[in-house]
Amino acid sequence: MKYRQMSLAAVMAARICMKIVPHIKSSNYLPQFGIILRKAATQSDFDIQHKTPLARRVAAIPKAQYGGRHAVTMLPGSGIGPELMNYVKEVFRYAGVPVDFEEVQMDPKSESNEDLEYALTSIRRNGVALKGNIETGSMSRGVLSRNVALRNELDLYINVLHCKSYPGVTARQKDIDIIIVRQNTEGEYAMLEHESVSGVVESMKVVTSENSERVARYAFEYAKKNGRKKVTTIHKANIMKLSDGLFLETSRKIASDYPDIEHNDMIIDNCCMQLVSKPHQFDVMIMTNLYGTIVSNVVCGLVGGAGLLSGKNYGDHYAIFEPGTRNTGTAIAGKNIANPVAMLNAAVDMLEHLGHHYHANMIHTAIDRTINEDHIHTPDLGGQATSIDVVQNIIKYLQETTKTSNW
Amino acid sequence: MLCSYVRRMALCNGQFCKTLFRVSQSLPVVCTRSFHPSSAAPAIQAPVSKPEGRTKCTLIPGDGVGPELVYSVQEVFKAAGVPVDFETFFFSEVHHTMSAPLEDVAKSIATNGICLKGILATPDYSHSGELASLNMKLRRALDLYANVVHVKSLPGVKCRHQNVDAVIIREQTEGEYSALEHECVKGVVECLKIVTKAKSERIAKFAFDYATKNKRKKVTAVHKANIMKLGDGLFLKSCQEMAKLYPRIEFETMIVDNCTMQMVSNPRQFDVMVTPNLYGNIVDNLASGLVGGAGVVAGASYSAECVVFEPGARHTYSEAVGKNVANPTAMLLCSAKMLSHVNLQYYCDMIRNAVNRVLKAGKVRTKDLGGQSTTNEYTYAIINSLR
Repeated sequence: MKYRQMSLAAVMAARICMKIVPHIKSSNYLPQFGIILRKAATQSDFDIQHKTPLARRVAAIPKAQYGGRHAVTMLPGSGIGPELMNYVKEVFRYAGVPVDFEEVQMDPKSESNEDLEYALTSIRRNGVALKGNIETGSMSRGVLSRNVALRNELDLYINVLHCKSYPGVTARQKDIDIIIVRQNTEGEYAMLEHESVSGVVESMKVVTSENSERVARYAFEYAKKNGRKKVTTIHKANIMKLSDGLFLETSRKIASDYPDIEHNDMIIDNCCMQLVSKPHQFDVMIMTNLYGTIVSNVVCGLVGGAGLLSGKNYGDHYAIFEPGTRNTGTAIAGKNIANPVAMLNAAVDMLEHLGHHYHANMIHTAIDRTINEDHIHTPDLGGQATSIDVVQNIIKYLQETTKTSNW
Repeated sequence: MLCSYVRRMALCNGQFCKTLFRVSQSLPVVCTRSFHPSSAAPAIQAPVSKPEGRTKCTLIPGDGVGPELVYSVQEVFKAAGVPVDFETFFFSEVHHTMSAPLEDVAKSIATNGICLKGILATPDYSHSGELASLNMKLRRALDLYANVVHVKSLPGVKCRHQNVDAVIIREQTEGEYSALEHECVKGVVECLKIVTKAKSERIAKFAFDYATKNKRKKVTAVHKANIMKLGDGLFLKSCQEMAKLYPRIEFETMIVDNCTMQMVSNPRQFDVMVTPNLYGNIVDNLASGLVGGAGVVAGASYSAECVVFEPGARHTYSEAVGKNVANPTAMLLCSAKMLSHVNLQYYCDMIRNAVNRVLKAGKVRTKDLGGQSTTNEYTYAIINSLR
């Protein structure tokens, strides 16, 4: 009886703490409260592992912009990453882009997280990174997947993929223009798996209202800013009534704040079918993590493969830009046939993000003309050209542009 | 018989030739197919950053010998064919009636992003009664918070110390230069030194990012926190906090008095130094003296958006005006740094190498380096060794 009362008191205390904590914005108190919380209510591994978004608020670091030049972290990764980064550097040199790269190499074979830690501090310092796909060689459970760890540690909760057809590329579908906004840090990628009984493995999918709200808010704000008409929420709330239900509910709630923008929802399986048959009905799409990766790969396939599109990862403080579909392309590494366009587009996105619109526009135009007018395509688009051919052609246009105007 | 033999030979030859031809034809194809870029080789080895488009730069000749030095730079630029256009402003505090207004100058620098500037003389009295000098006003208007002076021994210049290569980074918008002085009681003057966390962190981060970008190993914070425990203490603490974000760069602290002593006895121990305002000014001048004086050290002031390139040790050298003896090396190195900043690396190297060649040969030198040549002779020597 006594014990029961005590535990009840503990629960009450925990509840009070829970009520108090969200109201405290000052970061000084948070670590202490965190400890109290954990001690008071016996929290599961999940609670501890899945850090509350509140606890992640970080002190702003002065921005890395000096004399108009930005410092940017470059993570070449493995596979075709390093060669693509070299092309980016070449193109930047010819376009005269005021960006200095801080290159951070990560050894995929290493068991320690030292490289990862350094990459994280580097991104925290610079605020922006350009990234290839990073391989995680180790299969041991202590070593996190580098890609997922980067996203989770920096709280990059949104992945945006702008899928736009290139008129010069023969693909299954023409004139596609879809924005995919994907929740990037939770859902099925919460990395919470365990074998409760021998032979039975549980994998948790986590959906929080806060993260769902941030994603929906971002998507609607994006739609409003860019004059988009419709937002579609992709879910599977008919089966996962609580988790996907929450996601759907939240996006409906946010949608009511934006009466000008049409909102509808679609179940993921139907969505995939609609995407391949009638993709033009979609405008902006929001979805949870796993659906996001599937849908983005489907759409990338529709517009011409992994080598074209670029993805943007945003958090409150940091942004990482990378090729849209996350493939290392180890098989074609060093063969001079990898398509440099995706990485260059990621670089263009990065320049837009940093505010160098002039340079972004210059490179973007050069890429467009190379693909659409000159039809210089690498083998993945059915062409014969090498990576260097594409880059050289882009540089040719850049040189023409810099002849008349300054950089 | 003979005929057929000859014919056969011819046939053989023909075939041989054909095969040779085929091989030679197919060779380049094979080459291109098997060629692939290793991660180290750049994709294209075409001309390096030599665009034909022109870049605009604000130019403030400044007081004293400034106009002569700037003329030297313009001559060298003309000879090297540097695609830079200057937008010149007469900006001066001693001749304030003729000076361009601060707003115009600041606006021009803000649009162009770069500026080449001589030194502005600061009179001991102020015509407007304000405490802030024109230099300080310009820095505040543009928020030029970080002054970078690269003190590097030049080839062929004989000094007390060889192989000095230190970078002194100085906060120059607050500290002792806040222009807050008053006489609260007759005979008692208070001069306020302001240190803020935001600006201290900002300069510390600048120093570490500079070190990262330029592959430097060590950052030394110079302070006097043993006496000014709160003011310099905050600066020191901000540097220490920031150092945690840079695990691959060594961080150390040094008290300013010790620092100046170390600087004259063993300057090679220093790599990047980060200092508050007044200490930075003193250490800048001291270090410039180590490598050949005010005429050979280049500096730059950075804000987030723009850069002003100016000589590292700020002396107008007004006693030499019109005598054609001033050393334009500092100004030329400033201009080289400016070219590098706007991605004109090709021209930057061209000018820097020419300066090094002339100094190394040692035949043409200005008075401050122990030579007999005039500013013009020195300039033309540099122009002749441009290549």
